[in-house]
Amino acid sequence: MISQWSLLLTTAVAVVEEVEEKGKLFDFDATLPLMMIQIVILVAALNALFYKPLGKVLDDRDEYIRGGLGDAKARLAEAETLTKKYEAELAGTRRESQAVIATAKAEAQKIAAGQLAQTQQAAQVQREQAQQEIEQQKQSAFTALEPQVEALSRQILTKLLGAELVK
Amino acid sequence: MNPTVAAASVIAAALAVGLASIGPGIGQGNAAGQAVEGIARQPEAEGKIRGTLILSLAFMESLTIYGLVVALILLFANPFA
Amino acid sequence: MHMLDGLNIINSLPLAALEVGRHLYWRLGNLQIHGQVFLTSWFVIGLLLIAAIAATRNVQRIPRGIQNLMEYALEYIRNLAKDQIGEREYRPWVPFIGTLFLFIFLSNWSGALLPWKLIHLPSGELAAPTNDINTTVALALLTSLAYFYAGFRKRGLGYFAKYLEPTPILLPINILEDFTKPLSLSFRLFGNILADELVVGVLVLLVPFIVPIPVMLLGLFTSAIQALVFATLAAVYIGEAIEGHGEHEEEH
Repeated sequence: MISQWSLLLTTAVAVVEEVEEKGKLFDFDATLPLMMIQIVILVAALNALFYKPLGKVLDDRDEYIRGGLGDAKARLAEAETLTKKYEAELAGTRRESQAVIATAKAEAQKIAAGQLAQTQQAAQVQREQAQQEIEQQKQSAFTALEPQVEALSRQILTKLLGAELVK
Repeated sequence: MNPTVAAASVIAAALAVGLASIGPGIGQGNAAGQAVEGIARQPEAEGKIRGTLILSLAFMESLTIYGLVVALILLFANPFA
Repeated sequence: MHMLDGLNIINSLPLAALEVGRHLYWRLGNLQIHGQVFLTSWFVIGLLLIAAIAATRNVQRIPRGIQNLMEYALEYIRNLAKDQIGEREYRPWVPFIGTLFLFIFLSNWSGALLPWKLIHLPSGELAAPTNDINTTVALALLTSLAYFYAGFRKRGLGYFAKYLEPTPILLPINILEDFTKPLSLSFRLFGNILADELVVGVLVLLVPFIVPIPVMLLGLFTSAIQALVFATLAAVYIGEAIEGHGEHEEEH
């Protein structure tokens, strides 16, 4: 390491001594104007090849996007009005259908109620009929049984008390 | 080359770089500190602050570079050789 | 220079040579030019032209691949120019500022990324074109010419009124500024790139493995920032020359 440093030092001194052959760090010569010309040519070439066409593309795209944005906005507005219209229509239709359903329901209820009433009436009539019949049969049965009861009770009586007592 | 001139040139080169880095060092420290403070106060402005900071740091850096150029002139293109 | 030879003894790696101020001289008639600068600058220019042609050969509304990349670059440059020059005047200056940015950026990165030193030249070595003071001064002078041209085209001889603002006392300083602008522009770029290369070279000499990598990454970062700084400053100068005290005139 030390030898390296000493070498560096000696070389540094050598550098300063060697400068006699004229320092070439700031060596201006024909490179300078030629480089200027070269850069100017490069500006011109890049202007034709790069900045103009690509700048045009950028501007066109800006224009396109702006136009597309306007178009899209108009379309959005249109779509919104259409939506509103359809929504109104939908609401109307819904109301109508509700009304139809309501009337149909009412009708059906009416019919059902009427039928129910009829059936109930018929059933009532039948029941009454049946009751009357039963009553009649009961009555007839009672009337048919009455003489038998008389006869039977007389028989019982005679058996219990004797025939002479009964008379 | 005259050894006195050579020795003086080497010392002058060292001084040129060393002294030229003091001022910009302080300046860059100040600028960076202020930038951090600004970012802490307004974190949403970080991008802008960083861009300005880097640009101004480059300007301060160039002051040191001038010193370095002088040192290089003394070492490699000594006008008194 | 001797420095290189001495250091080469220390380290036998071919990548680790350190050369400053050596050039490959070409003769063009009786003109002397630096060959290695032109070789690498032609490489960079060729790369730029190929990228430009590839990007615009088949332009699509929906960009993909190289077109997308170059469009990103173009939009970046446009924003840079728009920020510094102003919405109204920036368009004609986009090619100039963009070319400055792209050329410097590619030059710096080609110098930092490509192992130019593997190609041996009879004298000197290949490096970033911006590593040579001639290139950076050429770019800076072009910037000066550009802002003079911008000022004259916009305001004619009234451009010189700028030198008397805000007070005539500042006339010498204003004139001096025209000289310091290209000087600082060129030296900033040159110094940064050269310093970068020297730091990496010295580190590679001392520790050939791994240790120089962070410095190399830092170098890549600085190189990109320097390209941005150069382009931004060129745009600022042009914008200054165009705007000047334009709002002043509108008041009258």
